[in-house]
Amino acid sequence: MANEVQAPPFSHPRWQLWPGLVIGSGLLLLAGLGLGSLLQASGASDAGRLLAGSYFQNVIRFTLWQAFLSVILSLGIALPVAFALNRFRAFPGRALVLRLLELSLVLPTIVAVSGLIAVFGRQGWFTALLDAGLPGHGWNLYGLNGILLAHVFFNAPLAARILLQALETVPAPRLRVASQLGLHGWWLWRAVHWPALKPVLPGLAALVFTLCFTSFAIIMTLGGGPRTTTLEVAIYQALRFEFDFTQAALFALCQLAICGSLWFLVFRKRLDTAFMPNRQLSQPASLVRGKWFGVACGLVLAAFIVFLMTPLVAIAVRGLPALIPMNEPIALYHQLLPATARSLLIAVPAGVGAVAVALLTLAAANRASGRWLAVIPAMTGYLPLIVPPLVLGTGLFIFLKPQLGNPMQGWSLVALINGLMAVPFTLQVLRGPVSSLDSASKNQADQLGVLGWYRWRWLYWPILRRPIALALAYGIALSLGDFGVIALFGSPGQPTLPVLLYQQLGSYRMTEAAGTGLWLLLVLISIFASLSGVSSPSSGKGSGAIKPVPEPDHA
Amino acid sequence: MFFRLLPVAVMTALPLLAGADTQPELNVYTHPSFAAEWGPGPAVKEAFEAHCECTLNYTVLDSGGAILQRLRLEGESTPADVVLGLDTGTMASARQIGLLDHHERKLDDLALPIKWKDDTFVPYDWGYFAFVYDTERLPEPPRSLEALIAAPDDLKIILQDPRTSTPGLGFLLWMHSVYGEQAPDKWQQLSGKILATTQSWSDGYFSLFMNGEAPMILSYSTSPAYHMAVDKTDRYQAARFEEGHYLQVEVAALVKTSDNKPLARSFLDFMLTRDFQRHIPLKNVMYPAIDLGSEMPEVFDRLIEPSQALYLDPADVSGIRRRLVNDWLDALTR
Repeated sequence: MANEVQAPPFSHPRWQLWPGLVIGSGLLLLAGLGLGSLLQASGASDAGRLLAGSYFQNVIRFTLWQAFLSVILSLGIALPVAFALNRFRAFPGRALVLRLLELSLVLPTIVAVSGLIAVFGRQGWFTALLDAGLPGHGWNLYGLNGILLAHVFFNAPLAARILLQALETVPAPRLRVASQLGLHGWWLWRAVHWPALKPVLPGLAALVFTLCFTSFAIIMTLGGGPRTTTLEVAIYQALRFEFDFTQAALFALCQLAICGSLWFLVFRKRLDTAFMPNRQLSQPASLVRGKWFGVACGLVLAAFIVFLMTPLVAIAVRGLPALIPMNEPIALYHQLLPATARSLLIAVPAGVGAVAVALLTLAAANRASGRWLAVIPAMTGYLPLIVPPLVLGTGLFIFLKPQLGNPMQGWSLVALINGLMAVPFTLQVLRGPVSSLDSASKNQADQLGVLGWYRWRWLYWPILRRPIALALAYGIALSLGDFGVIALFGSPGQPTLPVLLYQQLGSYRMTEAAGTGLWLLLVLISIFASLSGVSSPSSGKGSGAIKPVPEPDHA
Repeated sequence: MFFRLLPVAVMTALPLLAGADTQPELNVYTHPSFAAEWGPGPAVKEAFEAHCECTLNYTVLDSGGAILQRLRLEGESTPADVVLGLDTGTMASARQIGLLDHHERKLDDLALPIKWKDDTFVPYDWGYFAFVYDTERLPEPPRSLEALIAAPDDLKIILQDPRTSTPGLGFLLWMHSVYGEQAPDKWQQLSGKILATTQSWSDGYFSLFMNGEAPMILSYSTSPAYHMAVDKTDRYQAARFEEGHYLQVEVAALVKTSDNKPLARSFLDFMLTRDFQRHIPLKNVMYPAIDLGSEMPEVFDRLIEPSQALYLDPADVSGIRRRLVNDWLDALTR
């Protein structure tokens, strides 16, 4: 008998460390190359004069100011919503509300903005109500109002979801004790909620800040004029209209420096900010609360749902006439269906890639020791947010220029970049579940020799199935709605869904564009719905197996 | 589980497997509204391929600016033979790239409001910038730029940003042509009426104008032709301004590094024939570059006719553009 036991596949520790490190360094290299090749393509520059100019300083000031306000508002609204969702854990339609929270982040900007305008614009439903109930109210969407409103629409739902996960991690015994002691108000917050939210807040604030800092089309459409220029607008202008690569690279560097130092501040305290620490070992307990609290929670939740729903309803109302046409029903779908297929051909690899990268990065982050080694996987999660995709894409294009043979390679590049752009989000979704495996189980697995592939298959996969499905949905949906990157590489006359939308817009086909917008919304909804339908393994087989860890509620 | 990733890897690599065409081909870089299924692109492709014995390929980039950027990035190794979809605003930058060749055509039959003498760019359509208004909400639109500027601030208009949009730059030049050094003051008077300055024409037209947010938007004098001919509505019309309207000409050019210049030149010739031009009026919603005679759609008779075509030479524009943009920024952020 051979006394050698064959090691399980992928059981060596390096399998956990190196792939993540390689990906992280690759990403750093890409960003560096992108910026480097922009700088190289441009030659000498007058950086000092540019940065000292009042235009640049105004742009920076406004960008920071609106991002700061957006963070305060988004978190300020997300917090009560998360409390309300935490309070009501079993109302019918709660799962739908969670899907709704996922949706707004992935909506293509132009579709979402048209929905917001239909509700809050000068001729909008909300404004009409306001006119009737409160004449002389002075509400005006355009300007800082509109920017903040749109940023809250995009970011507050995401923040609410993440805060909700944090609140749900409060251990049941602690809730019971708090309940028995009759804690309420400030003391309840201090003893129970704040400790749960504290680790999540800095990273969350930094994430929302970065998203608002790099916001672009929203700012221009709703900002009202050149007073509301952000750094990303300036980068676009330099790259697309003035062909001033130096200026573009400089602006991009500033963006990197500002957002990067923010992330550094967050990380200095905790290198691995736990966004979704949803380890849960017992059934959740409810606090006994006053009646007024329940009413207030219900009102907040209802108001927020209405706020999220109405623009979607407006998109549907506007798009339906095109999707259910009276005269030539086939023609539109003749374009929509192939475009959907092409979009999926890009978005599915991008989404899968984003999930794979996130998992490998998390594995490496858990393994990596040492100050600098641990920085690399941590960077992977945030770099794609702060390097403008146009810069990343341009750099890649310059770098790969000689090898580019046919347009299909361009499409692969689009999938690659879209996948990278989605990594920060898939990482947020997966981080909590990956670290939720308790150390007792891990020790036991070590003793039993459940390592490598088997450990992944039998310990992680059961608890990660549903989070992975959610992360995949985010990854696919984010790249499905993306227009920016694909526009850079160009398409061989066959549009993806967002490109089709822009083609229709460019040719006055406004009704059809509205239809395409609604179609895109429906595709996104069905992606989330179908992937959230992934069942937990035990319920699927009906074997009555004991679940190692209760399913996270959010998945 | 690991092996389940295999099909995924295959799917990821799928785009790489699609091979390139081996037939003799003409590569044309263009923008989405030209190549769209309902745009002139497909019909033009069919008509040209009918007698060129070649394949016409479009590479669709999102704007004239993107076409230029792509050319610049690719440099001498660009596979493009022809670029189609640049305009008078991007001509000067395009020339500076140094990748475009002389067309060597006579261009005798052109029907443009100005005399065309350029040796690199061949025009294929043209139009005037104009304010399109909603007749149901604004029965009496301003009759001149001056009247628009002097109008009370409750008349709201939608503009595009000259830093990111072609019509936006067009209006900046329009204001400059009419007012010269007075333009910044006029911009300030106008500022109270500007509801939004959008990144692109599409954002403004779709999100704002068609949602009824403002009764007037900066667009083209030919825009109503589409609404009248295809949407069958007279609701949207262009306002004729006494000072004249700024002209935009869309052009194509030959790429210097093309390995099939005779074919590329024959495409430029084809571009100025009726087989190409008849698709321009309703599919590109612009004026054709040659006289179409009786083939011109009737709705074009009902469009406004500017008293004067305002036009600055592209070379001059490139010299003053940055200053004009800065003046505009100063005027609106002061």
